[in-house]
Amino acid sequence: MLSVKEINLTLSTTAVLDNVSIAFEKGKVTGLIGPNGAGKSTLLRVLANLQTVDSGAVTFTGQAIQSIHPLGYAKKVTYLPQTAVCHWPLTVEQLVSLGRHPHQTNDNVSEEDIAAIAQAIEETDISHLIGRTVNTLSGGERARVMLARALATDADVLLADEPIVALDPRHQIDVMALLQTLASKGKTIIVVLHELHLAMRYCDNLVLLNNGQTIAEGSPLEVITQTNLKDVYKVDAIFGSHQHTPWVLPWVNKKGENT
Amino acid sequence: MKRLKTLSNSPNKQTLIVFLLISIAIFFIVSLNTGVTHLSLINGLNDWLHSTRSIDSLILYEIRLPRTLLAIIIGTSLGMSGAALQGMLRNPLAEPGVIGVSASAALGAVIVFYFGLSSIFPLALPLGGITGALLAVILLHLLAGKNSSILTLILAGVAISSLSAALTALALNLAPNPFASLEIFFWLMGSLSDRSFLHVWLILPTTLIGWWLMLSVRRGLDALSLGEDTATSMGVNVQSLNKRIILGVALSVGAAVSVSGGIGFIGLIVPHLLRPYVQHKPGRLLIVSGLAGALLLLLADIAVRLLPTQQELKIGVLTALIGAPFFLHLLLKSRREWAL
Repeated sequence: MLSVKEINLTLSTTAVLDNVSIAFEKGKVTGLIGPNGAGKSTLLRVLANLQTVDSGAVTFTGQAIQSIHPLGYAKKVTYLPQTAVCHWPLTVEQLVSLGRHPHQTNDNVSEEDIAAIAQAIEETDISHLIGRTVNTLSGGERARVMLARALATDADVLLADEPIVALDPRHQIDVMALLQTLASKGKTIIVVLHELHLAMRYCDNLVLLNNGQTIAEGSPLEVITQTNLKDVYKVDAIFGSHQHTPWVLPWVNKKGENT
Repeated sequence: MKRLKTLSNSPNKQTLIVFLLISIAIFFIVSLNTGVTHLSLINGLNDWLHSTRSIDSLILYEIRLPRTLLAIIIGTSLGMSGAALQGMLRNPLAEPGVIGVSASAALGAVIVFYFGLSSIFPLALPLGGITGALLAVILLHLLAGKNSSILTLILAGVAISSLSAALTALALNLAPNPFASLEIFFWLMGSLSDRSFLHVWLILPTTLIGWWLMLSVRRGLDALSLGEDTATSMGVNVQSLNKRIILGVALSVGAAVSVSGGIGFIGLIVPHLLRPYVQHKPGRLLIVSGLAGALLLLLADIAVRLLPTQQELKIGVLTALIGAPFFLHLLLKSRREWAL
């Protein structure tokens, strides 16, 4: 599906991505985790074809992404940036409908478009917000509307940069469960996360990045380990299990010392 | 989902377009009938069609028809350019006048006047205007940057306008004789009187190219509402979009200003008034803003002929008198509304 091979990127003398190679699996949720400045968002921008790399290859179904027509790529790969920006007071449904942009050639909205928009609105639980303008929404509501916009594209791959950061716990869980459902339907989900407990529960694969390098890659239990968290995040980890589902709690003593 | 049906058809926009077209048609006829001399429109038209020279046909063909057509063409350019610039810069206060494009186009035209180039080469005037406008838009883009805040944008516009005004004043100051200064001075106030079909033909080609350039990227403007990164990820070539709008605005506004002089604020008022009728989508705003700009300038041009002033009021003065308070109102309102 989507893969990067030995990519390197230096911005202002800092190596942002250092020899990174990952093959993202179809039908899986892959979480990109790591501390601030690890290179997660940059990697997502590279995959969205918003940032070119200094060296290495970025391919989609075996083809270099730069050689794919931007509109064609936009139909297959959709990107949800970290910040929810909308410069005009569009209504929620107008904003979500922008997700259909790559599929449209004129102003007409087809039945197929309407169906995709309606489904995205339903999946993200924002139907009660229809008719409201985005500037009247809370941060969490706006984040879900932006996610609905990305989902309305109905692309094969979703690149989401911290999509749950502004959400309350229930909506965080709902969105992660939705991403898992989408993956089970054959979509490839690549998501940047800071919520390690949710990454552990809902991601099929995890990639741990630090200083632009891949530190660990594999299943959540392989990646989220005491050693990795201590090395990368400088925190201890308390592990547990509830209803046969493992969880993790990053821990630092109040004085700032690890246990 | 029943509530989503409003996405598939926009009755507001279609009704608005029909309303604007009918209004333009009505005031087109009113404009032909308005002037110091009473004119029988039917007789004038009849004589003109039969190539019979009469006072009515002369007034119609030589004076009123070009003036009316210029009001429509220039109004369309100003309205559409305002909507396109606002969409591109994602800023409701962008307008060819506010961001210094009109002043620079005027400077370009003044330089042509100053050196007497227009008498040697008729195309020199629109070319001068277009060059001035083009330089201003490029300079604005460099000064304000891509994600300009309202403050940066206005400051950059003020800087460009000030520079253009200073250079225009220099041209006035150094003009070879007082009559040349007076001619430039009156021309700068903006007017559509004493224009002929030559002016219409002069600006029409560049204007049409400018409109086409702006309209060709109107759907991309909708995607640009979500910022450049998201728009790019949606398949929009943002750099090409910016270039087309810059060139489109420069060609149409440059040509307009080179014929009419400075007419400000049409591009600011019109998109703002119409935005709710197109559900705030910047791409949909272009056509309706163009039509409404034509209607507004047509109305303003009729008004200056009907106002009981000793001398005919310059149309640029009238639009500025209406537009400047409106601009202040928008500035205050935008502080509350558009910051997301």
